[in-house]
Amino acid sequence: MSRKKGQEKIFEIKWKTDLPYRYSIGKLAVKFFEELKKNKKIYGSKCPKCGKVNFPPRAVCADCFVEMTLSDMVELPPKGTLEGFTVVNYPFVDPQTGGMRPFPYGYALLKLDGADTYTMHFVNETDYTKLKVGQRVEAVFKEEREGNMGDIPYFKVIKEEE
Amino acid sequence: MDHFEGINFSEMWCGIESAPGYLKPVVKVATGGTTGSSLAICGYYNVASGIYKNILVIGWEKLNEGGATTGIITAFDPVWERPSLAGALGPLALMAGMYSAKYGITPEQAAKVTVKNRSNAANNPFAHLQMPNITIDYVMSSQMISYPLRLHDVCPQSEGACAIIYANEEETKKITDNPAWVKSVATSHYYTFGTDDKMYDLPTATMASKKVYKKAGIKDPIRDLDVAEIYEPTSWSELAWTEALGFAEPGQGGKLLDEGITQMSGELPVNPSGGVLSTNPIGATALVRVAEAAIQVMGRGEKRQIPDVETALAMGFGGSLWTELLILGKEKLR
Ligand SMILES: [Zn+2]
Repeated sequence: MSRKKGQEKIFEIKWKTDLPYRYSIGKLAVKFFEELKKNKKIYGSKCPKCGKVNFPPRAVCADCFVEMTLSDMVELPPKGTLEGFTVVNYPFVDPQTGGMRPFPYGYALLKLDGADTYTMHFVNETDYTKLKVGQRVEAVFKEEREGNMGDIPYFKVIKEEE
Repeated sequence: MDHFEGINFSEMWCGIESAPGYLKPVVKVATGGTTGSSLAICGYYNVASGIYKNILVIGWEKLNEGGATTGIITAFDPVWERPSLAGALGPLALMAGMYSAKYGITPEQAAKVTVKNRSNAANNPFAHLQMPNITIDYVMSSQMISYPLRLHDVCPQSEGACAIIYANEEETKKITDNPAWVKSVATSHYYTFGTDDKMYDLPTATMASKKVYKKAGIKDPIRDLDVAEIYEPTSWSELAWTEALGFAEPGQGGKLLDEGITQMSGELPVNPSGGVLSTNPIGATALVRVAEAAIQVMGRGEKRQIPDVETALAMGFGGSLWTELLILGKEKLR
């Protein structure tokens, strides 16, 4: 909360509290995180009716409302294309931590090779003049993985031979 | 909104007694950015259904007391989206960049939206940022806050409230001989994950606009609408979403502005009030669009009045990338 010049000092009480939630991510996401943790692999889900490949994996096709099961999961390469990007350069409280989200950071909309849907993630570039729509990117994996999205801390921009 | 100020029972904080809602039925509606348009549509349903004769609809926000960006992040998927999501501006910046890359829309064209809207705001005594002398250079030299969005490409955080009275045909006669009539309303939803939608082609705006135009008998929005109050959280959004609403072909939003069509003196002025780029008390913002559309239809816009408004469009846009639209008119729909 900001206080404007000349405003008198307000009485403030600060406290921190834990707000634990249980959130069911579903069978497909469980497999995704198991494969990510154990084998450094990325899995999406493929609609058995229309063939649309979803990454992140989802349990129901948004187009045909058909349910996907574990047998509809397909491995995807860790490489993809930058469809959109920005460099976030403003302060805000991160509800994940209760503290400030570190900035600036590269933020991207990307599409893995073989996927038909987009995903948002970090990209390790904070100079926007070095980013371009259509650039190739690759997932960077942590060596000690825990089975959460932090196992892929960011995507890095790569150069590829044509 | 409870979510942004981090409080429960926000309707109590806004003062039900002063509203005056003491001992009267109160319904709270909160749908993120669309809160105001959801309120407007619920108000219409409550009266049009015959349940109530007269109701007061209020939208408000005190952003100084909370963190909208933080609140918005909690509305998104905790596993796939929250870690990198930076509230509304991050995705709006992605959208602006993709829109620019796809159609060659330039930062100058986006800056012209801010110049148009904030100079319009100078004619609106209720607007937060009134900048009669704003220039394209001023917008384009402001701080880059999330490429390609600069500080003045983006709406402010405002404190404010807006109220609209809805009344049935009989009650209306007792209040005014010059009401604005609701001709049609529509709500459209689309996505599961935020990334299902690249936002510059906002599919929900296209879906909702087709519905409201059909119900209100609008065939060509540029010709058949006299004014539009649209929800533009960024300058780039106004260009892109005038396309999604059918005012221009895809990629032609910049041309629409360059040709002066959306200016005050143009064929379809967009945001004579100054729009969201000038005033953004989130829970009230979309209701302000509806109120401003009504003000135009009733001819009460004073310095921001567009001459001879018969039909006006109001738009709400919200966090789950949904769109709500209302068409108001001087004539009742028969
Ligand atoms: Zn399908």
